[in-house]
Amino acid sequence: MAGLVIALSGRRVSISNDQRSLRERVSEFIAHEADLADARAYDEWLKLWSPDAEYWVPCNLDDYDPRQHVSIIYDDYQRLKERCFRLSSEGAHAQEPPSRLCRVMGHVDVAVDEGSRQITAKTKMVLVEVRSGAKNIYGARCEYRLEETKDAFAMLSKKVILVENDEPLGNLTFIL
Amino acid sequence: MTIDSTTDFSPLVREGGVHSAVYTDDTVFAAELERIFYRDWVYLAHESEIPEPGDYCTKWIGNQKVIVVRDSDGEVHGFFNRCRHRGTALCNLESGNAKFFQCPYHGWSYNTRGKLVGVPYPSRYGADFKKNELGLAPLPRFDAYRGFIFASLSGEAPELLAHLGRTTEYIDLFLSGSPTEQIELSAGVSKSLFRGNWKFVGMDGYHVNFVHKTVLDLEEQRFRGDDYVRGMRNSDKSPNESWDLGGGHSRLNLSLTDRVEIGRVSTTAVAGEIPDTDGGRSYFQAMIDRWGTREKAQEVINLSRDVHLHIWPNLQLIGSQVRVIRPLSAGMTEVIGYPAMLAGVPPEINEKRLRAYEWFNGVAGFGGPDDTEIFERNQIGLECDNEPWLVLTRGMSDAQSGVGGTVVGNVTDEVPQRAQLRRWLEDMQPAGTR
Repeated sequence: MAGLVIALSGRRVSISNDQRSLRERVSEFIAHEADLADARAYDEWLKLWSPDAEYWVPCNLDDYDPRQHVSIIYDDYQRLKERCFRLSSEGAHAQEPPSRLCRVMGHVDVAVDEGSRQITAKTKMVLVEVRSGAKNIYGARCEYRLEETKDAFAMLSKKVILVENDEPLGNLTFIL
Repeated sequence: MTIDSTTDFSPLVREGGVHSAVYTDDTVFAAELERIFYRDWVYLAHESEIPEPGDYCTKWIGNQKVIVVRDSDGEVHGFFNRCRHRGTALCNLESGNAKFFQCPYHGWSYNTRGKLVGVPYPSRYGADFKKNELGLAPLPRFDAYRGFIFASLSGEAPELLAHLGRTTEYIDLFLSGSPTEQIELSAGVSKSLFRGNWKFVGMDGYHVNFVHKTVLDLEEQRFRGDDYVRGMRNSDKSPNESWDLGGGHSRLNLSLTDRVEIGRVSTTAVAGEIPDTDGGRSYFQAMIDRWGTREKAQEVINLSRDVHLHIWPNLQLIGSQVRVIRPLSAGMTEVIGYPAMLAGVPPEINEKRLRAYEWFNGVAGFGGPDDTEIFERNQIGLECDNEPWLVLTRGMSDAQSGVGGTVVGNVTDEVPQRAQLRRWLEDMQPAGTR
């Protein structure tokens, strides 16, 4: 990626020209990931993940050590594969019939950590889910860590901070 | 239908059967609040939720919000969450720490022992205004067993130990996974809501192979090549058991097909593994030191992590979960689950417990949401009351009597359901006939 300024201090840097095109590319990627999740295209969605995957939906609080506090979802790559396998098989009653989903990702804010060359993207999500006569609306701040790949990006981590992560929730077995 | 203290619900229960109105009818639900939740011992909280002086948490008994607080001397109390002045709920948060509870309405203040210590502008009250009679109303009965705090709104409830009966053996087992026999509910709480009746959340061994088909699919992948026979554990061929413990309490015994080995996952899918790491091995050694032999340590770990216990009416201990059932209406229930962390173990043991807990439980887990989906379908089906009787005869003809009046059946038998309904019927008898 041409044009990155490496700051000696280790802080993230911002350079307007390159970052704008990076922001566009990251926004497209996030929109594509959202489309796959909405479409329940589990195999395709799984391919967006790095083997170092961390998929995290915190519970009760927005941030904590997930080794010491429960999460709604805290998947490594193995568990992500199991999740997609389960949703693709018959017998997952909580997704029979499956949720119909439509989400919008906005307020995309991108930064680059020059040490690790990882890209951090923050975004806000509003997701409408309809299933079995009920409509649910979920709002969340989402934080992605991405790495560049040959074609686009791979997700190292995705954190979904639901506004209602401390409320009694219904069925969240679809891909957030 | 007007319910009052003479309403008799016994026509709704038969031997081996129950009328669907028990699950769908609003008047039944209203009576359940009065006759079960406002009368029996109800589980509130664990002492580890309020470890320090001044710590408090708010909980529910039916529709009544209550405060559980540890006072400045360390003693724990239960109060109704209501200012004695004009009834404002004092504690707005689920938990916190306070030296005083001050009502936001007119500033009346209570200390952590419930004493009314402050009334603003007292000059307008006469000599008959007695502050010492206006402390926070204490819950009529309030007691704990090994850190599990219960309360009853009835002054006539038996002692807590009498209520708990044979469940104490399994509460003890639940704790014994820790070398110091202590748990801490320090890892947050998963809260869920389903559109169904609270009594569906029971002990059921029959449903596993059908509701949790995808869990079995994943287990099959995990145990590939092992001595794994898909679904046998949850069939009529299983040595595992369902128990009626008396008093409406019930349990499943799933330990007979599980094995404890370092690096091996529990077969119940809900309990954590002991990892093959320094921490895992040191935990195992600590259990051997505590219990004397490797075999005894394995037995204790097996039994402690395979606890599947229902304490009537609203508490379950399942694997590593402390589960509280909160009924909101005939067709709406909250399930509140606390991962129980073990005291005195390396951090990775509790980390494994958390990961196993999340795998199955919670609103995005691989197990629990299929259960609640079925409960919602139950609630829909039970509205059809042309043939209203549920069939609960499974294992009825040959369940065995166990020690001291318990009843033991195959894990797929409906022993727990019949146990609960028997207690339900006793509780729901009209006043004066109990």
